[in-house]
Amino acid sequence: MSERKRLLIVDDDPDFVEGIRAILEGADYETDVAYNPKDGFQALKRRAYDLLLLDIMMGRGAEGIMMARKIRKDPELKELPVLIITGIREQIAFLFPGKGVHPGYVPVDEFVEKPVEPEHLLERVRSLLDAAATRKGKASR
Amino acid sequence: MENGQKILIIDDEEVVLDSCTEILQGSDYEITTATDGGRGLKLVQEFRPDLVFVDLKMPGISGFEVLEKIREHDSTVVTIVITGYATVSSAVEAMKKGAYDFLPKPFTPDEFRLITRRGLEKRTLVLETMALRRERELLRENFAAIVSHELKGPLSAVQQNMFVLEQELAGTASEDQKRRLDRMKTRIKDLLQLVDRWLRGMSVDIEAMKENYQPLAVSSAIEKAVESVLPQAVRKDIEIVTSVEESAGQVMGDEGALTEALVNVLGNAVKYSPTESKVSIAWERKDNQVVISVSDTGVGISEEDLPFIFNGLYRAKSAEGAESGLGVGLAISRRIIEAHDGSISVQSKLGEGSTFVITLPAIEG
Repeated sequence: MSERKRLLIVDDDPDFVEGIRAILEGADYETDVAYNPKDGFQALKRRAYDLLLLDIMMGRGAEGIMMARKIRKDPELKELPVLIITGIREQIAFLFPGKGVHPGYVPVDEFVEKPVEPEHLLERVRSLLDAAATRKGKASR
Repeated sequence: MENGQKILIIDDEEVVLDSCTEILQGSDYEITTATDGGRGLKLVQEFRPDLVFVDLKMPGISGFEVLEKIREHDSTVVTIVITGYATVSSAVEAMKKGAYDFLPKPFTPDEFRLITRRGLEKRTLVLETMALRRERELLRENFAAIVSHELKGPLSAVQQNMFVLEQELAGTASEDQKRRLDRMKTRIKDLLQLVDRWLRGMSVDIEAMKENYQPLAVSSAIEKAVESVLPQAVRKDIEIVTSVEESAGQVMGDEGALTEALVNVLGNAVKYSPTESKVSIAWERKDNQVVISVSDTGVGISEEDLPFIFNGLYRAKSAEGAESGLGVGLAISRRIIEAHDGSISVQSKLGEGSTFVITLPAIEG
């Protein structure tokens, strides 16, 4: 159980990625990065990850949302914990008029807002990984 | 746009229909004809023409009535009247009803071609204008999302790296260096919050907000607003003096929005005040209103600038040399306060300071 957890970051801003990657690696996680959803998907197909950190606004719009939806429909990936890291909150009204983003609209486990305090990020990551481990434990029993 | 435009000609004289069709033969236009108003109107809906020629003098439904019906159906369709009398008065009457031009009978092929081309050009312009208007509306709606991404993206990246840098230097940085890092982090955080506030103010759906109005204590919004501007005040060694009349009361509203309106006003007072001065905020109940006033001893606003300060993207000339910042905040404040059936006004003297007065209708409770 001491094996290092492997996380995938999908975000199109290399400078931002650098910022969270350093925090995650500092906490002894292994990280891979994809700078767009397409590469992200390929990475997820290539190997198993314990958690996905996903940006919303990429490319021509809210491509992160499409990616999250696609993952939830994929039989192999639907159990993957997804943490959305986004700069947009209620300003996303053009996608969901009058509503903020929340898991009712985007099938993910949790949201944090950019920029994210290191402690807060690590805490969210830990709790999602723990929840996933618990789920897995129950399933195998 | 030039190609494949559709023309409908409504005239009871078959010879006119035939000759018109013949004149335009070989062009890219799609042409359909009708011999009376009833059939013509049916075609307006089915054929969806860009340009309609209407004979004014027809049996059955009159040309005028046809014009009116077309207008009701789709006011962007360009109409040109054909009039046998060539009387200016009936043509003018038709143009008052929205016809774009008139064509007196008899006409030459050249005249008909020319007026057709002009009519279609008009149609193109009308459609383009509409498209631009729609685009502008869409841009306004999406503005928040676009700005959010373009402005906050880079700021977030900077801040995120700042967090890491701070961690990495934790053991080695001197106290001075730590303070410098703190200062940078604070300013970026302020900037991110400012972007958020402006975006919310500009994109907030007032009608949706009204649906969630609740009774709230004015003092609670004021406390939160004061708390929000306190860091800026402390930095400039400005004291925020609050004085409250205990029974100032409650208003119906959205606490977040009202707090934001107050933050903008208070923030300006702090921004334009000299260091080591005082900003005071007082509120009281006057009859059935809650009156909040915010006073500073700052740069003040000149008489000529006063009428414009709530208009958005406006920064008084007299503020030059003081801290920079566009006057979007006050416009947002006004928008919010007016959505609460309140009002905001200002009294100011250049060099002596300003007092902003906000009044909101009070409720019992």
